Amino acid sequence: MVDVVSFVFDLLTITGIFGILAISLNMEYGFTGLANFGKVAFFAIGAYTAGILSRFQGVPFPLDVVCGILLAGLAGFLVSIPALRLREDYLAITTIAFGEIVRLIILNEDWLTRGPMGIPGIPAPLRDVLAGREWLAFYTGLCFVVLAVVYWMCERVVNSPYGRVIKAIREDEVAAQALGKYTFKYKAQMFTLGSAIAGLAGGLYAHYRQFISPDMFVPMVTFLIWVMVILGGKGNNLGVILGAAVLEVLERGTAFIQNITTLPIEPYNLRMMIIGVLLVVLVLFRPQGLLKEKFIKTRALKVGEEKG
Amino acid sequence: MGINIAQVLFNSVVTGSLYVLAATGLTMTYKLLRFPNFAHAELVTVGAYAAYVVMLASNLNFPLALVAAFVASSLVAVASHLLAFKPLSKRGAGMIELMVASIGVGVFIRYVVQEIWGAAQRTYGIVRQIFDFGVVRATDVDLAMIGSAVAFVVILHLFLVKTKLGKAMRATSDNPSLAMASGINVDRILLIVWLIGGGVAGVAGAFYAAKTRLVPILGWEILLPIFAVVVLGGIGSFYGAIAAAYIMGLAENLGVVLLANLGLSTGYKPAIAFAILIAVLLLKPTGLAGLKVRRVG
Repeated sequence: MVDVVSFVFDLLTITGIFGILAISLNMEYGFTGLANFGKVAFFAIGAYTAGILSRFQGVPFPLDVVCGILLAGLAGFLVSIPALRLREDYLAITTIAFGEIVRLIILNEDWLTRGPMGIPGIPAPLRDVLAGREWLAFYTGLCFVVLAVVYWMCERVVNSPYGRVIKAIREDEVAAQALGKYTFKYKAQMFTLGSAIAGLAGGLYAHYRQFISPDMFVPMVTFLIWVMVILGGKGNNLGVILGAAVLEVLERGTAFIQNITTLPIEPYNLRMMIIGVLLVVLVLFRPQGLLKEKFIKTRALKVGEEKG
Repeated sequence: MGINIAQVLFNSVVTGSLYVLAATGLTMTYKLLRFPNFAHAELVTVGAYAAYVVMLASNLNFPLALVAAFVASSLVAVASHLLAFKPLSKRGAGMIELMVASIGVGVFIRYVVQEIWGAAQRTYGIVRQIFDFGVVRATDVDLAMIGSAVAFVVILHLFLVKTKLGKAMRATSDNPSLAMASGINVDRILLIVWLIGGGVAGVAGAFYAAKTRLVPILGWEILLPIFAVVVLGGIGSFYGAIAAAYIMGLAENLGVVLLANLGLSTGYKPAIAFAILIAVLLLKPTGLAGLKVRRVG
């Protein structure tokens, strides 16, 4: 029999973590138009930094995650310097390649990452105080608090004058440059921010799973985050969280169906086929996703409306 | 450790021949439809598994299996064009959208393959015949691969240069609107490009599987080296891709020797292709084809 409470908490936690990842991609692609296909690399950097520091160096919980955020952000910044000067398709190929290089390093540098064996026994915060289900509830709550903070922060960014500049870059970079904006700086900042947020998600993930290995950080993870953003609605942070939730429910759903009936098809394969078709159908028929991007609202506009 | 240079060179030619077959279709569709087709990896995979089916049914008739690989992959390529990429282009989808859709197509095909044949690895079960040419040791699969690549290059070259259809293809690749204005049926040209490009990618998959093993992520394993070949050769350039394929073959095979001698893990072999890819994109994004552009004036 399935433990329903644990099942729900687990679903919520993973949704929270992937919601953070989806927002991080949304900041880069949804708002700034940067096609980062190497998202998983920054997620992995955050997870491995937190995992290695807490497991082998005894760094306490929030501090190791902060180190992961900083390192992922730094990696994002360094990648962005050459990569953002490239055409959009070249950026996509370069970031995919970067993701694979990071995975190769994790796989081959045994002295640091234990290679293919992965890192077991990553300490779970407050695990010695809280019992099984209580801990699960605590960690779910923690992930949602972090998600809420990330959401609030990113909404502040995109609804500011700064946010309007990055949207202008997405729509027409040359026009933004003609208005005197140094677009490279904005793009690099958004790429760094997105990478740092992905690192945060990685840290949370490592402490939740308490085990990380290279095969958790395959390119498919990047593609799943892309599906979440495109399904939920690019340029809408609430939408992409919804996208993450739908995708997680789809994952559990296909696994759950197998518990009650026998499918003629492997549920994991079925889920992936659905995701593949979903991507094509969405891009074809509903590129704006479930929730559309909101119109820009500023105080000046409101003043204009009041005056009629 | 003594290095057998002749063997390294021979292995480079083998690897390069694989990349010639695998990269031609990608470079042509990339140029014509203006997006990098990530589902190209799965065309390679489909060819490998189609060949597997025929190998089992025909008592290990490898030439027949290669034909099956060509047919299956070209059909899947045409289907993906008609069902996904063509409607998207008609709706004016941008490059990123097409890229994302191609990932969707690729994921779908990969998991259909995994559903049918499972994730566990398989082999063709052929016994490779080994030939010794002095210091160089070659298998019959190696020789067939080199022969197929050479034959393909010669045939496609003659097709592009001598036939009317081939000329129409080159015209379309250079300037689709002008080609259309000259009365060339661009839709038909596109279909032929998918047929040929997809088909040879499938043949490449069958050879790769014969040399290594069959897994559903087989195509993905060589996708990034293929992209490196396409970019190094110059997107859309068939001749550039040929040169780039052998350069990449040499770089990988020399690189492995170098990695071993430097005391680094040979697990970093894929990183060689990535490094070349990134370096070309940053330094000379037009690739080898961009080197011979004549400047007027």
